[in-house]
Amino acid sequence: MARWIKKRQGLDSLPLTLSRRRLYILPTRAGVGYGLLLILMLVAGLNYANSTALFLSFLLIGFTLVAMHQCHRNLLGAQLVAATAPPTFVHRPGTLTLTFENSATAARFRIAAGVGEEPVAPTDLPARGRGRIDLPVIASRRGVVRIDRLHLITTHPFGLFRAWTWVHAPIEMLVYPRPNGSLPMPTHHGTKAGTRSVTNTGADEWMGLRPFRDGDSPRQVDWKAYAREAPLLVKEYSATGSELRMFDFGALSNLQLETRLEQLARWVVDAEEGGERYGLRLPDNFIKPDRGPEHRHRCLAALATFGLEDARRGEDTAT
Amino acid sequence: MAKTQPPEGSPRGLTWATAAYGAGVLLNVDRVPQWVPVAALIFVIWRLMAASRPLRLPGVVIRSLLAVLLVAGVLLRFHTLNGLSAGTALLILMGSVKLLETRSQRDQFIVVAAAMFLLLAACLDRQDLLRAPLYLIQVWLCCAALAVVAYARTAPSSAAAPAGFDNRAAMLLAGRSLLFALPLAVLLFVFFPRMAGAFWAIPRSDEALTGLGDSMSPGSITQLTTSYDVAFRAHFDGTPPPPQERYWRGPVLHEFDGYTWRRTVRSLVHMQPLQYLGHAYHYRISLEPSAHRWWFALDTATGSPQPTVYFTYDYQLISMEPVTEGTNYTLVSYTSTRATSPLPQLARRHDTELSGDRNPKSRALAVKLRGGVASDSAYVATVLDYFRKGGFQYTLEPPQLGFDSVDDFLFNTRLGFCGHYASAFTFMMRAAGVPARVVTGYLGGEWNFAGSYFIVRQSDAHSWTEVWLDDRGWTRVDPTGVVAPERLSRGILDILPNAVSAPARFVWSQPWLAALLQRWDALNTTWNDRVIKFNYSDQLRLLERLGFQSPGAQQLGWAFGAGLVGWMLWIAWHVGRGAPRSRPDKLARAYIALCNKLGRAGITRESHQGPLTLASEVSKHRPDLRNDVDCLLLRYSQLRYGRPERDSYPAKVRDFERDVSRLALRAPASETPRR
Repeated sequence: MARWIKKRQGLDSLPLTLSRRRLYILPTRAGVGYGLLLILMLVAGLNYANSTALFLSFLLIGFTLVAMHQCHRNLLGAQLVAATAPPTFVHRPGTLTLTFENSATAARFRIAAGVGEEPVAPTDLPARGRGRIDLPVIASRRGVVRIDRLHLITTHPFGLFRAWTWVHAPIEMLVYPRPNGSLPMPTHHGTKAGTRSVTNTGADEWMGLRPFRDGDSPRQVDWKAYAREAPLLVKEYSATGSELRMFDFGALSNLQLETRLEQLARWVVDAEEGGERYGLRLPDNFIKPDRGPEHRHRCLAALATFGLEDARRGEDTAT
Repeated sequence: MAKTQPPEGSPRGLTWATAAYGAGVLLNVDRVPQWVPVAALIFVIWRLMAASRPLRLPGVVIRSLLAVLLVAGVLLRFHTLNGLSAGTALLILMGSVKLLETRSQRDQFIVVAAAMFLLLAACLDRQDLLRAPLYLIQVWLCCAALAVVAYARTAPSSAAAPAGFDNRAAMLLAGRSLLFALPLAVLLFVFFPRMAGAFWAIPRSDEALTGLGDSMSPGSITQLTTSYDVAFRAHFDGTPPPPQERYWRGPVLHEFDGYTWRRTVRSLVHMQPLQYLGHAYHYRISLEPSAHRWWFALDTATGSPQPTVYFTYDYQLISMEPVTEGTNYTLVSYTSTRATSPLPQLARRHDTELSGDRNPKSRALAVKLRGGVASDSAYVATVLDYFRKGGFQYTLEPPQLGFDSVDDFLFNTRLGFCGHYASAFTFMMRAAGVPARVVTGYLGGEWNFAGSYFIVRQSDAHSWTEVWLDDRGWTRVDPTGVVAPERLSRGILDILPNAVSAPARFVWSQPWLAALLQRWDALNTTWNDRVIKFNYSDQLRLLERLGFQSPGAQQLGWAFGAGLVGWMLWIAWHVGRGAPRSRPDKLARAYIALCNKLGRAGITRESHQGPLTLASEVSKHRPDLRNDVDCLLLRYSQLRYGRPERDSYPAKVRDFERDVSRLALRAPASETPRR
């Protein structure tokens, strides 16, 4: 069934307007129960030739059909404009953010989305407005995980019908290896573990102050200056002569591949938190020592995709 | 698919479901024992209080106990769980117990469904015009409750969403949907084939209804309490009969044991062929439900209106089934008839029979009076004269009569109502060998000016005598008319106002109120005739009027199908169409026209390009057009994004529009067009 739908609809690209051709609708469980109630009403009305009961059941039959159209209409024409998933770690809750746009003059309500079957977190889209769904996603392996199929669903307005659609958009989420491992961080490039160097503070050459940027470590903030009602400033040290940490894939040869990557990820995360400068050496990649969120991402991304070039087209593992 | 916990119902959903349920109970409050709605009310309050403060809801043990207790209560009261009233009581009680365990969204749906069921129960039992708006409001309430329950916020994380779907929106949405559904409902109502009793037999009404019985013992009644309820309504085509002819024939009583007159079934007697005299009255009767099988007709009807109704040899109409539902039928009657053949011996014997030797004094009187005159008709006149002059009085509170009821009445009390006079007169006839029988029915009726029909009420019940006279056949003689002549021309209320209840008396004493009630009755009658009693034959008649030749179920199906498809298309178009994009304004239209011209000239505007970047594109790729176009694009951006000068703005937009339409751009030169 799912395969047939995919074949029928083809791959989608964002922004995607939900068209008539891709919307499906069926009664919900409540809708089926309600339908049985209607049949009973109709039979009773017919049997007793009771005009009031007949009219009541006819009115409710009409109401149900209208409700079906309204449920369909609640999804029809909505636009999925973006689906973004910031990188996350294996087995850590990540978020897939879906952004919807409603160009209609009427609001849309209770639009839920799901990656598996169960939809979560419904949102309302105001008339000519946008709405967002933050979908919790947990990946079970590192690398580029593709969210193959997205499920958009609504039972608004009366909960009697469920209209839904499947979106097969190329939504990719980068999944870092899980930071794991307890080996001590190597001090710097080339030095053997054990000969620990002095910590970076003091040993680095003082460069001066610069304004705070997002991602700067709190340790480097000049809190004294901040207390003097100065803006948030960050103490900067020159790279030359300062202690570097170089995380070498090759140095962990006694471990298995995944464990190695997890250990490296552990170090990268810890080093970044410690406000240190660090670099990464992989067999096919060398990342010069630096620090900051972008650098951290570059390192972790390299770990995430290491050795997985052919697995990019792998099956969907996100749930 | 992972099975998860059913979504928690929202507090708002609970309030709405409870409200719908409570309204459903209210609609049935007059149909069930009083403790039932009281119990339901207690549970409703309990549930609502538990929702707003830390009050414990009962556990499963207490709920089960309650359920058993309540079922036992219903059983005690009704001795059954079957039947509409018992079923409704049970539904109310079980629904309210369900309310006590309502937590999830699914539970709330069930409570709303129970409310709809209660509505159905009310519809099945009560179809008054007055209730119709209440039913509609309840449908609306239920549908809105569905919307609110369905909207339940399951995840508190989505709190950022705008609270656009409030109670008002739910009401509006449900109302709009019902309005959309209305045409279909009317269509189905008119064209959906009706099949009464097709699925299960229609049970008899379990309520005691008033109406004429099949026996009469005037001696046992000391106070005739007449009800103001309507027996039937009669619509005449053309002129109605004069007041003294408005005898509505009901059960004919043949057998007398000295105290009680009874209807006996004599299938061996053939119907006397009649010669109809005078004016033929064509009319329609709208019969109200009763516990009996009598169909009433203006005396004397010419035949049965339906195959399921017998036309007996004594000219009564008797249905095979009790009249549990209001019924309409058309008849033709003549108020004057003549028999064309002599009375058969068997019938003569039955209608002169007086079993035993009861009432000896009356017998002696009859023989004496008959001996003094030559013919039966003279004897009738003599006895009537006896009633007229014998000091008889009309009253609805007669003294109780002794064992020989006729003797006691004629020689002792001399106080009575129509039953006494008919009984005594018929006895006198039979005692003298003249065939006679008691006819019960109604006399008169109230004229409703608003609807042009007669309302015949239970208080118009009457009885009279029919005497066989050899030259005329069965002849109606009304001895009551001799004693109380005004009874013939006026209703019983005019004569004895104390005969009915105080409210009815009050209405009768206020002419404006009476007129108002008449209008209301006329409206109700239309409602009953056109809507409530609308049936298969009415459907066929309507088809005939729509131009179908010899309509049947098939034609009905076609009309129904065509209408259904039409409605579906209408709804699909109306609801399913995407909300219309608003039309671009004048300025934007002119700008689009300009862009189109530029496009033909070889410069296509990309969707990310604004007017100024477009201008730079033009000067880069078609410097020859720059003079014409740049200034227009600049003007557009000023009009669109600049501070509007209120007075000159419309004029400027118009100028811009005009200049755009005048602009003529040369096609791209030899250079290759961009894109």
